Amino acid sequence: MNNGNKTLGWRLMVPLLRKELLEAWRDRRALLTAISFALLFPAMILGGTTFMLKKQSEEAARVALVGGDSAPLIQKYLPTTGIKMDALAEGDPQVLLAGDYDVVLVAAENFAERYQDFRAPRLYLYVDTSDTDAGRAQRMVQERLAQLQQMVAAQRLTARGVAPQVLAPWQLEVRDMSTPSSRGALILAMVPGVLIMTLFIASLATSVDTSAGERERLSLETLLVQPLPAWQVIVSKLLAVASIGWVGTLLTIGVLVALMPMMHLEEFGFQLATSLSGVIAMGLVLLPLALLVAVLQILLALRSQSFKDAQTQLSIFQIAPLVVVMAIDMAQIDLAGAWQLLPLVGHQQWLQGLLVGDSVSLPWMLAGSLVTLAVVAVSVIAGARSLSRETLLSAA
Amino acid sequence: MISVENIGKSFAGKAVLRDLSFDVPDGKITALLGANGAGKTSCLRIICGLLRAESGRVLVGGVDPAENPQGARRQLGVVGDREGLYERLTVAEYLKVFAQMQGLTGGALQQALEEVRAELELDGLWDRRTGGFSQGERMKVSLARALVHRPQHLILDEPTRGLDVLAVRLLRKTLLRLRAAGTTILFSSHVMPEVAELSDTVLVMSAGSIVGRGTPAELASETGCESLEDSFVALAYGERHTHREVEIA
Repeated sequence: MNNGNKTLGWRLMVPLLRKELLEAWRDRRALLTAISFALLFPAMILGGTTFMLKKQSEEAARVALVGGDSAPLIQKYLPTTGIKMDALAEGDPQVLLAGDYDVVLVAAENFAERYQDFRAPRLYLYVDTSDTDAGRAQRMVQERLAQLQQMVAAQRLTARGVAPQVLAPWQLEVRDMSTPSSRGALILAMVPGVLIMTLFIASLATSVDTSAGERERLSLETLLVQPLPAWQVIVSKLLAVASIGWVGTLLTIGVLVALMPMMHLEEFGFQLATSLSGVIAMGLVLLPLALLVAVLQILLALRSQSFKDAQTQLSIFQIAPLVVVMAIDMAQIDLAGAWQLLPLVGHQQWLQGLLVGDSVSLPWMLAGSLVTLAVVAVSVIAGARSLSRETLLSAA
Repeated sequence: MISVENIGKSFAGKAVLRDLSFDVPDGKITALLGANGAGKTSCLRIICGLLRAESGRVLVGGVDPAENPQGARRQLGVVGDREGLYERLTVAEYLKVFAQMQGLTGGALQQALEEVRAELELDGLWDRRTGGFSQGERMKVSLARALVHRPQHLILDEPTRGLDVLAVRLLRKTLLRLRAAGTTILFSSHVMPEVAELSDTVLVMSAGSIVGRGTPAELASETGCESLEDSFVALAYGERHTHREVEIA
């Protein structure tokens, strides 16, 4: 019969790839899922930074000083960086704590008299320990009062000809190292995980549809009687699935970059890698991982008994990146060097570095990407073998 | 020609094909006639290289699909027991994809698409996505996909399942035209009138074996029955189930 102008070899895969891409990009449900999560994650990060900023602006301890007229020195010197004080003539501590104040400091009625007589007048510090902000405020006020107390004691000793250093063999100063920048970094540490999660979620619907879906609709059988090697079938499908996941992740990066001005990152003391080269580097870093995620999802879905079974299994598979990140965190592993060769581990590190503008080792990045691509190749071979399983046809 | 030589196949220890042998000559229509579970689909899947026979061998135009599946599949057009359509592709896109996967390009590709469009009267469907097509429309597109590369061998598994009268007539007309053009056609069915009208040779299958072969007239003569249906029942289940016996009783 007339077979006309025939092409051979890998070029036969091109029409199949086009078919897979057309099907994937015309699947509204899959696209909606990918776009939704691509937009949702940056919105979550924007929400997180906004919350941090709000907390930062509110982090000064709010103190009410009742009866401050009898303690003018405290009234004058207690307010400092991190302590906002209101002097009140009178007030019920319970009512004040229920209002806007973190702690209430009350000077005893005979404070001035006893102070003048060097008889250690009493100060009462009212705290609601069920209030999460109270502990920090209490500590700050106590430290500030201790400083003032030391200052007064030093003045009194000096007036009597005694060197104040005699009573203070050392000075302990507690310093809170949690800067706004480091607290902001906590949020940005989530970004690589979020990008990787987006890959997993954005490609889920397409990977299920192109494997378990085709099997259930029995169109996979039609495909398998075409003169294509099984590996080409798997490669076509994985490229289509990876394209959705990858573009979804690029969309996430794009939206993140667009939202950065609203995040006021300068308030946290650093800039993100918002340059075009940084974005391109992140996209390139994610490309091998997108291929790996796609082929693993397809493998898993092909092993499922049905479309629904595949959805369930892949939903569980989504938590894989979280499990890896948490396991690494719990194991306190130093992830420098060869650890970067591991897929997910390396990607997380490189993305983190690219985000905060740290230097990323190009050789390690290339080597790690090659390892990821090698795992993709092995998975393609496994996928091709799975297509020859006779049980694949049993859905008929 | 398709040659099936002593093939055997079992699933989970249960034999579904037993020492099966037959030839499907060029330019003829051969029917595999059998009840559900007789082994028809398994036999066709082995010929397509989707299943592996545990014994014996199959040759499709001289090529063993177990050894050279791509070589065998280039000579095959297959309509499975489901249509295998992609609902997000138009008919034109769908047929183009499969024609290209069979190696057609350029002018040959365009010519093949135009020919199959005319032959199977696909004008009204051509630019529509296949999602929502009727059973008859789905079968037409599926048949077009199997024929677009002009295969020497055509395999159809229960092709008239769920079709209306017009669709069956179009299918029948198409198969007869292909036979006249020298195509080797093998189809499975359990619909007697369809088999009687179309087939040059009928292979009666029962429990994984060929229990009768010949033209419908030869089978009737062999069994002493008047119809193909009675012949089939006599061959597959024994004479006690025939209409004649029921009438005598």
